[in-house]
Amino acid sequence: MKTTGNRSLILYVLSIAFAAGLLFFLGEYILQGGQWAVQPFNRHISGGVSMTGQVLDRTGQVLSSSDENGRVYNQDASIRQATLHAVGDDAGYISSAAQYRYRSELAGYNLFTGLGSPFGNRTGSDVTLTLDAELCKTAYTAMNGKKGAVLLCNYETGEILCMVSTPTFDPANPPEDLLDNPEKYDGVYLNNALSGLYTPGSTFKIITSAAAIENIPDLESRRFQCNGSEIINGNKITCTAVHGDQSFQDALGNSCNIAFGELAVEVGEEAMMEKAQEMGFGQSYSVDGVSTAKSVYNVKGASEDALAWSGIGQYTDQVNPYHMLRIMCAIANDGTPVEPYTTKEITTSFGMTTYQGKTSYGEPLLSASTASKLKEAMRSNIRDYYGEGLFPGMQVCAKTGTGEVGEGKEPTGWIVGFSADTNTPFAFVAVVEEGGYGISSAGPVASAVMQQAVQKYGK
Amino acid sequence: MNGNEWIQTGLFLLRMLLPFLVILVAIRCFHSMKAGRRREEPVIVLENMVSKKVIPVLYWENSLGRSRSCDIVLSDMTASRDHAVLMRRESGWIVKDTESKSGTRVNGNTVPPEGKAVYPGDVITAGSTSLMLKRTSEASVKMPKRKILRAASPVGLMVWVTVIQLILLIQACFSSGEFSALPILPFCALFLIEWGLYYYSIHILDRVSFELETLGFLLSGISVMLLSGMRSELKKGEVAPDAFALIHSTMKETYVQVGALLLGVILFCFLIWFMNDLERVMKFRMAIAIGAILLFAANLVLAKESHGARNWIVIGPVSVQPSEFIKIAFIFVGASTLDRLQTARNLSGFLIFTGICLGCLFLMHDFGTACIFFVTFLVIAFMRSGSFRTLFLALSAAAFGAFLILQFRPYVLDRFKGWRHVWEYVNESQGYQQVRVLSYSASGGLFGLGIGNGKLGGGTSGNSVFAAESDLVFGMLNEELGIILSVWVVCILAAMVLYTRSEATKSRSTFYSICSCSAAAMLLFQACLNIFGSTDVLPLTGVTLPFISAGGSSMAAVWGLLAFLKACDERTYAARRVKKKKGGR
Repeated sequence: MKTTGNRSLILYVLSIAFAAGLLFFLGEYILQGGQWAVQPFNRHISGGVSMTGQVLDRTGQVLSSSDENGRVYNQDASIRQATLHAVGDDAGYISSAAQYRYRSELAGYNLFTGLGSPFGNRTGSDVTLTLDAELCKTAYTAMNGKKGAVLLCNYETGEILCMVSTPTFDPANPPEDLLDNPEKYDGVYLNNALSGLYTPGSTFKIITSAAAIENIPDLESRRFQCNGSEIINGNKITCTAVHGDQSFQDALGNSCNIAFGELAVEVGEEAMMEKAQEMGFGQSYSVDGVSTAKSVYNVKGASEDALAWSGIGQYTDQVNPYHMLRIMCAIANDGTPVEPYTTKEITTSFGMTTYQGKTSYGEPLLSASTASKLKEAMRSNIRDYYGEGLFPGMQVCAKTGTGEVGEGKEPTGWIVGFSADTNTPFAFVAVVEEGGYGISSAGPVASAVMQQAVQKYGK
Repeated sequence: MNGNEWIQTGLFLLRMLLPFLVILVAIRCFHSMKAGRRREEPVIVLENMVSKKVIPVLYWENSLGRSRSCDIVLSDMTASRDHAVLMRRESGWIVKDTESKSGTRVNGNTVPPEGKAVYPGDVITAGSTSLMLKRTSEASVKMPKRKILRAASPVGLMVWVTVIQLILLIQACFSSGEFSALPILPFCALFLIEWGLYYYSIHILDRVSFELETLGFLLSGISVMLLSGMRSELKKGEVAPDAFALIHSTMKETYVQVGALLLGVILFCFLIWFMNDLERVMKFRMAIAIGAILLFAANLVLAKESHGARNWIVIGPVSVQPSEFIKIAFIFVGASTLDRLQTARNLSGFLIFTGICLGCLFLMHDFGTACIFFVTFLVIAFMRSGSFRTLFLALSAAAFGAFLILQFRPYVLDRFKGWRHVWEYVNESQGYQQVRVLSYSASGGLFGLGIGNGKLGGGTSGNSVFAAESDLVFGMLNEELGIILSVWVVCILAAMVLYTRSEATKSRSTFYSICSCSAAAMLLFQACLNIFGSTDVLPLTGVTLPFISAGGSSMAAVWGLLAFLKACDERTYAARRVKKKKGGR
């Protein structure tokens, strides 16, 4: 009998396997239960009224809610189109939007009661975004039908006040041929602000400048000669004008291609790539659970002329608008970026806040001295070259860009910057596809949004 | 709040209460079983005639020999490694020689092959060692101090089970917000079966323990009441039942389940009676094996394929799944008493039987059941031989078999294509059922949506996901009664395994020990295949969840398996003696 007793220990193997399996399942249940529950085939939530919670902007304006027929969006058509990529569509194709990401919260799922409710009728949580619908509307109107992206955030708190991506459509009245005509509506489901990649053009000179400031000790005393073009490695680098003899500061103000091409070559392949990486190229950020597209800077084994072009934001350079916003926040905050976010809070139907957006900071992208030098140079850009007219009384530091895309298309227009005034701590990025010069295409968009932001939220 | 909201809130609160009651009853049952069992104290003693050393005899079956693994170790070079077996039977103590070299003698007479009865005062000689059998009262042995554990009263536990079932009845009657009297009839039948068996065992058979039956009823009751919230689709010409109808054709599945429970309880009683006489069991083993093989053969000849497997025989209005009952036969054939284990060491007979069973199951395409038989085989084989080599060989053979099947029938793999990728097959056969189990399980939350309110089972609408009440019943349980209760239910099955393990040396024979360990392992492994298969932790194989799944054969056979666990408890057969000691009732 003793041996039988000992041999029965084999049953422990089975029991342990059972326990392991059960724990594995329960772990998955706890972590993924919300996703499991809110499936289109789930007959508890079918019939279009799956979500009962509301999506609100920071002022409490309802962006979407539910009635017995399904989802109801804001009554203003422009706001509906401006906030589509933040709020979401009926079909759930925009996976970066709140209605998709928070579908289990909006549907009222919780671990405790599942999709049920102790009192019979289920009610979902409300999701409040950090966005201001009016600001989004202004940005959307200013884009004037062009494709692109606009972002504006408070660089002290990280709250994104404006996030617009175009092309867009009206979720309340989706075009009938939306699904049948994919070419016409190309990119309509993509949030360009988080997932887009654009040729940065001259806005990349901020990164080249940072690399130069940190790698060339006598940069301040250097002089740069611009004759309108220069041959590097048998290849012609062209400039927008003949800028003549310039200091570094002048070169950034003039956005002189010759000077920055030379600087990139002088800094060299390795140091350029190192600085770009440090500033977040090749990295994806998580914005309330949405992964942003990775910006690209790769000059490995590139020829000198390619390196020169890369330093002025051409070659294979690609930049994501959210990433650029993060760089602006870093320069405004002495080198340390705040992490911009869009979800302010999630509140259950009985008033309990289950999620609260928080200010957080990333690793420094620049040293404080580099940041302050860049800040001054960018301030001088507006003050001494573009003029304060675009951003009256806001002490804006900015850089424009015009990214050549080839294929006979108009270049991509950029403007990136922030207000140095701590009473109006806003950073912005505006990108206009096929917009032409950045100052004339993206400039007015940024100007309109900044003016409204300062008026509404300035201290 | 309006009336319906009040009802819903009330039902929800009752559902919150359920898991606590269930775990309470389960813990009390296991505690009671532990409290009621015999301590490690000598049943009788042996006194060495030369050294006068007293050897306590601790078990009902004891091996004598030179080997260190023997229960009674003889430090005598002339004794065989496994010399003899001293065992207690209904008639008294028996000594049996287990093919020792020098033979065993009692009072100088050689023990015949069928064994010889011994009484206190008799001298057993093995090799050159002589031992005198003595009562514990005659020898000065120290009795270990008894730790008194209070056992819960069996009637109290049964009352609690009835309370739980009443709560379930209320849930079922008010499912989907409308009253229906249909669940009352199954409840009454359940009540009568439960208290009927209680009366029979406690008052007619005079048994002292009822915990295992209580656990069985706890689980079966959940199953019956869960099913009573579900209706099959209305056939042409059928009229939907009104609120106060007591009986209706759409409840057929529930009625079958209750009927199967009754059959199962009868089978349970019969098997316990049958196993009382081990000589009888040993005599019938061959017949059981042949019967099982014939049943398989009949299955293969008669069955038609349905849903990819041929494991059903339909005789008139009754459909039976023979493999469920062959599980019981399989354990009978595999287990053995200690004296037989000592003499017949090889497993060849059982190995051949297992081979035939697995072969038949493969021909039926019943892969899940084949796995269950194989795991049970591993447990029995190891408990009989104690050899890791046997385990290793069996596993290698299985791996090789699986390899051969995949070589010649690569499409078998298609069935498992969806495993861990079910979300890619949301509307295809490889993932359809699993994703619905997951989705509806999560929909239920901790306390469920209420009996009949699930979408997996479809409630009163008759619109259910295929096999919701059998293969996917874990999902249904999660959705309607909540995940906590589900977890308790499967944990009770796991606790049965741990209980039988701790009981393995306490039973009256290794036969009972091997039977109960392998039966408990079979139940738990089957539960694993069911719950992990339907939730995509393992590939979906389509087996039932013991006690819970709908299915007559399954329900009846599971109670048959429970008889093995009951037989292992020495109090099952020793009831009267214990009572007499206490001075009668």
